[in-house]
Order: sequence, then C-alpha cells, then structure tokens
Amino acid sequence: MSPEALELELDRLHPAAFGWALACCAGDRAAAEDALQTGYLKILDGRARFDGRASFRTWLFALVRNTAAELRRRAALRRLLPLAVLGATPDGRPDPATVLARTEATRRLTTALDTLPRRQREVLHLVFYQDLTIAEAAEVAGVSLGTARTHYERGKAALRKLLKEEPE
Amino acid sequence: MTERHDHDLGEQFHALRREDVASAPPFHTMLANARARRAKPPRRRVLGLAAAALVVAGVALALLIGRRDRHGMTIDLATVRWEAPTDFLLTLPGDDLLRAVPDLGFTTIDSDRRTP
Repeated sequence: MSPEALELELDRLHPAAFGWALACCAGDRAAAEDALQTGYLKILDGRARFDGRASFRTWLFALVRNTAAELRRRAALRRLLPLAVLGATPDGRPDPATVLARTEATRRLTTALDTLPRRQREVLHLVFYQDLTIAEAAEVAGVSLGTARTHYERGKAALRKLLKEEPE
Repeated sequence: MTERHDHDLGEQFHALRREDVASAPPFHTMLANARARRAKPPRRRVLGLAAAALVVAGVALALLIGRRDRHGMTIDLATVRWEAPTDFLLTLPGDDLLRAVPDLGFTTIDSDRRTP
C-alpha cells in the first residue's frame, strides 16, 4: 500500500479508530489520543506493516489496542518510579471533561461498561459500536473465536443486568 | 426478545459512537502532531533518562561508600604493631645477646690460659 493510499485509509477510519482508542483507554481522552498518535507514527515509520492477512480495519484496531496496552504498562511503571513527577501520567480513568460531555444515557452505558472485565468490554465495543463480527472482534482482541464468543455472551448478560439495575 | 434487546444495546452503543465522532480530533491535526513528535526528541524521555541516570549513580555511590566504611572497620592484625608506653621498661642491658643465636664453637668469653 502506497503512503498516500495508507493515509487516505487512515483518514477514512480515523473516527472509528478514535472511538476504539477511547474504549481501550477506559474513556481517558488524552491517553486515547496518545495511543492513536503513537499507532499512526508506527505505521508512517514502517514499524508496523499491513500484511494483508486481515482487513485493514481489523489490523489497525489490533495495532491501536496493542499500543494502548503498551502505553498503559509504561504509565504504570512510571507511576511506581519517582519519575512520575516529570510529567502527568495517565491513570487510565476517564477524564472529567469527557464524562461531562456525555448525555445521561451514554453516561449510564459507559459507567456500566467500566465495571466489566476488559476483554468483555472490548468484545462488546467491537461488536455493537464498531459493527464487527465476533470473528473479527476475536482477531482484534487476539483471542480464539470460542473465547470471544464467551466474552460476548457473558459481557452482554452482565451489561444487560447492570443497565436494568440502574435507575432510568 | 433477545434480538430486540440486542438491538436496544446496539442503539445505545451507536449513540455513544455519534458522541465520540462529534468530539474526535481532526485526522490531519493528529497526523501533524504525530509528525511533529517524531521530528523532535521527546523532552520527557530525555528528562526521564537523566533522572534514571542520577538515581543509578546515587545508588552506586551509596554502595561504594557503604563498602568503604565496612572495610574501614576491619583491622588487619598482621600489619599492626602496637607499642605500649611502658615497653622501654622491658628492655634489659645486653638484650641483643638474648635475641641473637650463638654460633657453635665460638665463645664470647675470653679466657687467658696462661693465668693459673
């Protein structure tokens, strides 16, 4: 894929990729932007290459997911070291501005999603938000189809229960 | 029932997506930021490395000083000779005769055989 075509494809998928980065960073906007920028840099520098084995969207989402996880690990390490004083370290929590900008219904949904295990949250996001199939979600999350299906069913049941418990 | 409920869940997720898309930073701005980040070395990383080097140097120095102090506490008895202030009282006249090993067949007593 030529650099121009790559850039066009990234532009087309950017809104969806941003939503996915937000989900990977538990609603922390700064961390999501950081993960997305780092991911784009990896692609532009050629450190991450699309090999055509999966769809470009699935590949990009897997890259964003792995980059977010990598940044999360680094942030956790930085919090342990005294170097944390050198700069703000993302703590993996949604920033207040993002929370305030949400409507009541979506705030309820994100609050409920935050209580679910990461894998379940990821699979539900990929299926319902990104309209991927469970097989594609499995590819992005790096798990088998059976595992993804289990996360999907359990996550859906837990989310349904949580939303029912929450007052309307 | 499940299908309908799934559809409701889907609707809620799509509402979330619409909000996220509306607040997403423009792609070209993000790309420009990413390129700018690539162009200049990250200040935080340099500062972090400097701080890490300082911490390592501090730990090394502390270990070195600690080790030196520990060595200072031990006394090598083989190399130390202590003399008491009253040692001179123990020296006797003709002390060197007692310390020297006498040669066999040689006498230090000068006897005159001619004298009866």
